[in-house]
Amino acid sequence: MKTLIKLYIPLILFLLVSCQDVIDVELQSGPERLVVEASLDWEKGTSGQKQTIRLTKSSAYFTTNSVEEVQGALVTVTNTNTGDSFTFEDQNNGNYVATNFQPIIGNSYALRIENGGQVYSATETMTSVAEITDIFQTRDDGFSDTDLEVHVVFTDPEVEGNNYLLRFQKQGDLLPLFENAEDEFVNGNEIDWWFEIEEDEVDGLEPFQPGDVVSIEMYGISRGYYDYIKILIDQMDGAGLFSSTPVPVRGNCVNETNPEDYAYGYFRLTEVNHATYTFTED
Amino acid sequence: MNRQLNGISPVRRKIGVFWILLMGSFLTIGQTSHTISGTITDHANGETLFGASVFLSGTSIGGITNEYGFYSITAPEGDYVLHISYMGYTDINQNIHLDQDLKQDIEISEFATELNEVDVIAEEPEKVLLRKPEMSVLKMNVGTVKQIPVVLGEVDVLKSLQMLPGVTNNGEGSGGFHVRGGAQDQNLVLLDEAIIYNTSHMFGFFSVFNADAIKDLKLYKGGIPARFGGRVSSVLDIRQKDGNSKKFALTGGIGAISSRLTAEGPMFGNKGSFLVAGRRSYIDLFLKAAGEENSAMFYDLNLKTNYSINANNRLFLSGYFGRDGFELGQTFTSSYGNASGNLRWNHIFNDRLFSNLSAIVSRYDYDLNLDFEKFEWISSINNYNLKYDFKYYLNDVFTLDFGASGLFYEFDPGQIQPTSETSSINPLSLDQKRAFESGLYINAEHKLTDRLTAQYGLRYSAFSRLGGQPISNYENGLPVVYNSRLGIYERGRVMGETQYSNSESIKSFNNLEPRVSLAYLLNENASLKAGFSRAAQYIHLLSNTSSVTPLDVWTPSGPFIKPQLSNQYALGYFQDFKDKKYSLEVEGYYKTVDNRIDYIDGSELIGQNTIETEILNGEMRAYGLELLLRKNEGKLTGWITYTLSKSEQRTLGGSAGGPGINNGDWYNTFFDRTHDISVTGTYAFNDQWSVGGNMVFQTGRPVTYPNGQYEYEGMSIASYSARNSDRLPAYHRMDASLTYRPKKYETKRFKGEWVLSVYNLYHRKNAASISFAQNFETGANEATRTAIFGILPSITYNFKF
Repeated sequence: MKTLIKLYIPLILFLLVSCQDVIDVELQSGPERLVVEASLDWEKGTSGQKQTIRLTKSSAYFTTNSVEEVQGALVTVTNTNTGDSFTFEDQNNGNYVATNFQPIIGNSYALRIENGGQVYSATETMTSVAEITDIFQTRDDGFSDTDLEVHVVFTDPEVEGNNYLLRFQKQGDLLPLFENAEDEFVNGNEIDWWFEIEEDEVDGLEPFQPGDVVSIEMYGISRGYYDYIKILIDQMDGAGLFSSTPVPVRGNCVNETNPEDYAYGYFRLTEVNHATYTFTED
Repeated sequence: MNRQLNGISPVRRKIGVFWILLMGSFLTIGQTSHTISGTITDHANGETLFGASVFLSGTSIGGITNEYGFYSITAPEGDYVLHISYMGYTDINQNIHLDQDLKQDIEISEFATELNEVDVIAEEPEKVLLRKPEMSVLKMNVGTVKQIPVVLGEVDVLKSLQMLPGVTNNGEGSGGFHVRGGAQDQNLVLLDEAIIYNTSHMFGFFSVFNADAIKDLKLYKGGIPARFGGRVSSVLDIRQKDGNSKKFALTGGIGAISSRLTAEGPMFGNKGSFLVAGRRSYIDLFLKAAGEENSAMFYDLNLKTNYSINANNRLFLSGYFGRDGFELGQTFTSSYGNASGNLRWNHIFNDRLFSNLSAIVSRYDYDLNLDFEKFEWISSINNYNLKYDFKYYLNDVFTLDFGASGLFYEFDPGQIQPTSETSSINPLSLDQKRAFESGLYINAEHKLTDRLTAQYGLRYSAFSRLGGQPISNYENGLPVVYNSRLGIYERGRVMGETQYSNSESIKSFNNLEPRVSLAYLLNENASLKAGFSRAAQYIHLLSNTSSVTPLDVWTPSGPFIKPQLSNQYALGYFQDFKDKKYSLEVEGYYKTVDNRIDYIDGSELIGQNTIETEILNGEMRAYGLELLLRKNEGKLTGWITYTLSKSEQRTLGGSAGGPGINNGDWYNTFFDRTHDISVTGTYAFNDQWSVGGNMVFQTGRPVTYPNGQYEYEGMSIASYSARNSDRLPAYHRMDASLTYRPKKYETKRFKGEWVLSVYNLYHRKNAASISFAQNFETGANEATRTAIFGILPSITYNFKF
């Protein structure tokens, strides 16, 4: 909801005047950092035993080179409640995989990465998610009365403090779109979350059409991760005139050897609903 | 002597000096003196004239009329010539024999009719007032404002001020203005003494002040007189016209964006007058006609009336009401605006003591109706202000201002109301806040010698955050804590809350604000001035974006937010050349502001009940050099300005721990502009034709660009550099206007003129912002520039009869 209020001004500004074009800009170059994508997501109804952690390096903003993958690191995750430890095997492509992982809602886990003489660590709690009770489509909700939107319906638990990450990807699109949600104003209610794609010629965004298939993930996330991903999502589509000042976002992966040289990315443990929806003629 | 003073605190020492000076001035009374007092008005419409100069020829005895046109001068018995001069008006010389106190109301006439300013006239108040210690003040009359080419022909007082040194905006499409490296919320904007919280329509494209209803404006960039308080950077004092007291008149204009009409005339027999001015945009009508679902509009209504009970008592009632409305389809509507009213009573106790009592209300509110989410969001700020000001013309060397004010605030930061049964939003009301601010001041203008004049004063301000709301208690008293492991600031842990009753005060503050300035006349054409002022500000506008928006809310100081305190030092050199045809002003300043709010990374201000968990208290500093060269007379008039300046802020971790925001380093504010050059000129060919032009060059606005990227969630994520360590490309543009006044109107009562203007003549795409994101189709990272105004021609027709 807060995001909607934030969207309001840029929308109006856009309506009034303004022209946009892509230009060349010279940038400062920041330090190269380790990037930890340790997203241990447990899809409802699966065992959640197979999990992947991806390690890469950051690079210059305008680069055409492919991402530098990190190989030869030692990666383990420990359940600090049970003491069980899981080793993630190096696949030599930046991915580290465990096939015996045991997800337990509410348990704390610790991540440890050893790479190039540096030790990185992070802790996080596995967070549950409410079930999706309904998915349907409409036209007259959303910003536009003519574009299709998909609704995801779920019931927020009575206890306050539930946070959600939603990921939508239209089949055939290169990139996904993310939204974050918290229960601050809607605690305990049945929530009808709609998602619509606004046409944007500059960015190449096209609204949903009948026949389109959208893949939907809804994650239950910790407050720490919510605070992190909220900034990331805010900054994903760029910082315009009325956006908050962009900031260097720090995740939860700490460099124990040299704290200044912290890693990008996050160690998250979530429960996730996965669904696909095919838009129909109406 | 020094030993004795050592024990006294600096503030008390200053008060001591003040009293010594004050008492000294009473001692100069002695010889038989008499006073001449009265009001200076415009012969044509009866408007009182603010800033007209009234002098006894051949002496240095004299003064300037106050906001209500009143003057009072005292001189030894004798024969004099009373000399009155005012911008564009014919000078008046009147022989007087001073052997008793005299009351002398004087009417003066304009050189030429207003729409027919050919041999453009010396504009007295805009010229340097060499003797007056007043410095860092910009004054403009509406005639000048109207000559400056503007966006779409909408005459705009705020945009005109930005052509002067030390005043900038935050780029096109951003509201408000910045004075000497200060933030937007640090400006006190007064319209007929009422506080205006939002100065712009359409998010900053146009100002809320309808030039047809305005008499004059004065911007204090520093050396703020003691009678003003509550903001640390500047005071913009705008006065509405009183209304024509001689005859009924209509003024109006038809422009590309809006049309306006002003009616004014005598009222209550000959004892008063009125003015009603309206302005409405019609963008929405065009949009609707074009079948567009979205629309935007704004309107203003200015009202003023006055009534003279007798020669010594006069009442004024003024009001302003303005609003913006937006619609996005049927799903999204919003409106916001200011409303204010002021009832004033001018009372002249005697020929030397003038007083004014004002009762003022003002309000700013907005609402957003999000139909698709089925809720409405409303927010407002209200204040009620009572003030009593006195001006005492003690003798020919000494004038005293003193007074008191009380200001009650109500803040309603936000309420959410579901607009339908099926809304999944719970109703919510953020805590309403109340506060009381009071002020007491005394200020003297004191001619110490023939060459040296001083202005010294003191303001005492007090602020009390009133109860009637709960305040959260945090673990260790810290609403924000530093997580040293992750290197980030986090919200503190709430340990419960304390409920304060309506009669309780949650937190109180008070401050002494000394204001001092000196003018030293080097010779008949040059003077040197110096000033110091301290000011306190108890309310803060919350905004963590580069541009302030109408949706930002104000918050009072309290247990977690301290009042902002500024100290400003200024030094200036002023000179007239060539029989006052040209004038030069050079000023340098250094300013510090304590307790400037800054926002932690990821701060959430919308719908936030506990603002204290999102902020830290920081500081600001700004310094600069300003140059202004004006040509005041002749066919070509105008000015050239150059400002070299720096504005920075820093926020340390303090009790929250850690290094602070941006690692505790100083960083450029959004409104830091290293270089700012502007040139404005008007050339009158003849009675019918004149041209105007502007040129502006500014260093680009500080911004934060990426310094790298990484892969996460299948996306390229930008990592950002230190806060505001990059800059947008330099901003520059040129505008021109052509004015034609058809000859046939010359002798008629009806006067008309056509104004053709072109904004951004060479169509520079000045970046309002540059944002960095991945192209959705190709996946490549791109920098996208948003430019707002390209070349914009427009035509306006103005009339008057």
